[in-house]
Amino acid sequence: MMSKVMNYILPITLLVFFILVMNSGDFLKQPRGSQDNVIHYLNQVENEIKQQEWDTALQEHQNLSAAWDKIVPRIQFSVEKAEINKVNVNLARLKVFIEVNDHNAARAEISEIREHWDNLNK
Amino acid sequence: MLSEGLIVLVRSIIAFITLFIFARLLGKQQISQLTYFDYVLGITIGSIAASLSVDLDSRAWPHWVGLATWTVCVLLVQWLVMKSSAADKYFSGEPVIVISDGQIMDEAMRKSRFTVSELLEELRHKDVFELSEVQYAVLETDGKLSVLLKPEYRNATIQDLQLASPAGNMSLLLIYDGMIVEKNLQLSGKKMPWLKQQLKSKGIKDLSEVFLASYHLESNTLYIDQYKDKNKTADPQLI
Repeated sequence: MMSKVMNYILPITLLVFFILVMNSGDFLKQPRGSQDNVIHYLNQVENEIKQQEWDTALQEHQNLSAAWDKIVPRIQFSVEKAEINKVNVNLARLKVFIEVNDHNAARAEISEIREHWDNLNK
Repeated sequence: MLSEGLIVLVRSIIAFITLFIFARLLGKQQISQLTYFDYVLGITIGSIAASLSVDLDSRAWPHWVGLATWTVCVLLVQWLVMKSSAADKYFSGEPVIVISDGQIMDEAMRKSRFTVSELLEELRHKDVFELSEVQYAVLETDGKLSVLLKPEYRNATIQDLQLASPAGNMSLLLIYDGMIVEKNLQLSGKKMPWLKQQLKSKGIKDLSEVFLASYHLESNTLYIDQYKDKNKTADPQLI
């Protein structure tokens, strides 16, 4: 019985566990509470930018960054580091575009963040 | 964000254990009968495992799939080779006679891309320094050379000398690290009371004092090595 566990059950369990870890990105990027809902905050920022509410947009950007910071440690084992870095850069640029009230550039950054978000774990 | 070191650590553990499981799955053939194809496969699989471990710019999953695919391909080839001799010849190649009755087979050497200097080197590894002593030399599929010397140059065997052959040298490990190896005890045909009696006669009160005990089948003797060595340090005079 012991050899059966060591020869079959343990290796298969480990391989299945590894497969789950390596593909957990899509599942783990989903929000677990209200503070880590990236898509929700991204929509909020976009709405505020559309309405030219720059101060509120900046606050929502802070919430968005905080949510993203909560998600990153969960997905780091399963997604490309390059994709995470790109989102970080987009967030930094978005902040500046909001600060200088650049509507078009800010919308473009949001669109790019969405694209990278969708590409995580793909 | 977690540090890159931690991510590499986790991915390396995944790569290491996966590679270990896959290597076990591929069996001993990979190590003991390393053909050129197996050698290339080993390098490729190792390279993919290395990328899985440290290439953080791509996801671990595609590398893992690559690792699994190569392993499955090797398993398929191994299965085919087992099932069909034609497939065996195709994948592993055939042994080639490179020396016959002291004569180098030039055509066979050329086809195998085996040079004379390589041949001579392999012969020297086999303690053969004279081509004329060789009856046959066969280049095996794993690149090793098998050499059959002419009868007059072969070592005399016990049979040649018509001597009585001594008994074999089979020993069974009965105790290791203070634990009895039950399976071997059964195979030896001995019982626990006999073993305890043997230990007692050597002044051993408990199994935990024994590092290793092996039973020699032919001579019916028990070799015992205790944790408490009699000679704690080597005598410098003897070295």
